[in-house]
Amino acid sequence: MRAIIFSWEYPPRVVGKLAHYVQRLATKLVRRGVDVYVVTFHDYLTGCRKEQNGVITCRVSNPVRTHIGVLTWVLTLNQEVERVAADTYYDSEKQIDLIDVQDWHFIPAAVTLKKAFNLPFVYSVDSLEEHRSHGANSPFNLSIKSIEWLGTFESHKVVVKSEWMKNEVIRLYNVPANKIVVVEPEAEGWMDRILEVYRDAVGSQLSAGGSQP
Amino acid sequence: MNYKLRVLMFSWEYPPRVVGGISPHVYYVSKNLAKNGVEIYVVTCDFPGAPSREVVDGVHVLRVDSYKNPAPDFATWIYLMNMNMRKEAAELIRNLDGEVDILHAHDWLVASATIGLKHVFRIPLVATIHSTEFGRRNGIHTDYERMIHETERWLTYEAWKVVCCSNYMVSHVAWVFGVPSDKLIMIPNGVNAADFQINFNKEEFRRKYALPEEKLVLFVGRLVYEKGAQVLIEAAPKILSKVNAKFVIVGDGYMRDPLLKRVQAMGLLHKVLFTGFVDDWTLKRLYNCADVCVVPSLYEPFGITALEAMASKAPLVASDTGGLSEIVEHDRTGVKVYVNNPDSLAWGVTRILLNPDYAEMLKENAYRKVLREYDWNGISIRLKNLYSVVREEYQRGSWKP
Repeated sequence: MRAIIFSWEYPPRVVGKLAHYVQRLATKLVRRGVDVYVVTFHDYLTGCRKEQNGVITCRVSNPVRTHIGVLTWVLTLNQEVERVAADTYYDSEKQIDLIDVQDWHFIPAAVTLKKAFNLPFVYSVDSLEEHRSHGANSPFNLSIKSIEWLGTFESHKVVVKSEWMKNEVIRLYNVPANKIVVVEPEAEGWMDRILEVYRDAVGSQLSAGGSQP
Repeated sequence: MNYKLRVLMFSWEYPPRVVGGISPHVYYVSKNLAKNGVEIYVVTCDFPGAPSREVVDGVHVLRVDSYKNPAPDFATWIYLMNMNMRKEAAELIRNLDGEVDILHAHDWLVASATIGLKHVFRIPLVATIHSTEFGRRNGIHTDYERMIHETERWLTYEAWKVVCCSNYMVSHVAWVFGVPSDKLIMIPNGVNAADFQINFNKEEFRRKYALPEEKLVLFVGRLVYEKGAQVLIEAAPKILSKVNAKFVIVGDGYMRDPLLKRVQAMGLLHKVLFTGFVDDWTLKRLYNCADVCVVPSLYEPFGITALEAMASKAPLVASDTGGLSEIVEHDRTGVKVYVNNPDSLAWGVTRILLNPDYAEMLKENAYRKVLREYDWNGISIRLKNLYSVVREEYQRGSWKP
């Protein structure tokens, strides 16, 4: 299986706790025999390389340097994510099975690639705009929420880290409960459950007439 | 030459959605490309009452959800709208088995949609730059403006070829974004001359705007500083000292009140008529009644009103700036005057009004020039040739999937 993980933070760029979580996830997936590409942002350490843990990291920078906020910054960065993911797709002779998008930042890219290549994605929720902004509903917050909603709508499965978050996703975005999978990080059988979600996403595409073997 | 090109053209406006000049441009260009054997799709924003998919004059139109949630500002809305555009166009391209030869973007308003699709499907991108943030704002002053400026630069960077509508814009884009000259190509804007040749009762129509003994001096443009209506107002007394005339000012903008006050102070309220916005029907008749049409712009990337005047056989006086300098040849297709100079403008207008034979010669030459160089059919063929060149270069390269 070959998976691409999208995350806006990944070591050495650490913003919050997501960076190290994604690194542990990617490393363990490699140990379980998955080909893992991580597409992430870095201002100048750009390009693809194979790390010591076997993960292939591809870092992109923003083609538009000046921004008025994180939202416009994210929206123009997505095209570079699309470019690198598409390059990976073509370089591996279209043998990519799925995308795992971590939080909202690169949902637009995941959606484009899904529509373009019939490539499924799972949306892994670490946090939601509702909680980060304490319920603020300015146009800025609503725009981010609309992107999170798009992720829940277009993804094959939504992966959350707790029962509480599952209920929040249901409450905020009206997602059917059976579309949400709770996977507690580092818990017993953690990797088995992640791989189960991945296989399910790939299988869904097969039965929908996808091109993956 | 028998190969049928398939092109996806992206524009944030297409009729019935009309905000500025890109909408009519894309309408005429796409229609004439279809006529010349190009299979063309226009991807644009939705509009109340307009179908999400239709075929207009041989053009396949796809109207996408233009993102109707609240957005913090115009630029952010544009990027969010582009997200939707990418999503829906990606599905369209996949349904065409990825077999699209060219993606064509009009201005930064569709930059992120077309750049993303270019890389995802590896289809060459052509961009038309109609105007720049630098030109519109007379420099870059805020982070917001710089973000748009850099998005425009990004589009020219990602494009295989960059089209501009005048040599003036070619040199401006080369300088402001550092675009190499072999990527830049000039293909002018067009005008549908037949639309401006109309039969109607001139005397009766004209009576609503000017007395029979008054010459009709026409200005058409937004009433904003760079369009220069104030220069014409200042020239008015100088013109009136030589010839009896009525000044008809068509258009609206923030300068309407200051201009009205100025006209009042000059004691010329009976000689200057502000019509506000007028519809196409009225505008074409006004052009046809004009004894002289004045384009006194201080900044003008192209100058579509000059073409419309020429197509209507109205003698033309234009300031020697930007795209106007290229459209008007002095003493052949019009009169060129110094920029922001009421004396020079008054000289140009009286030169035409006092010399009917000269005016006749100018307007006949101008009309022939419009048919020769600014006809949409000819322009579309130039664009089609550009597409073919890009496709050949692409076929020879190793980037294709």
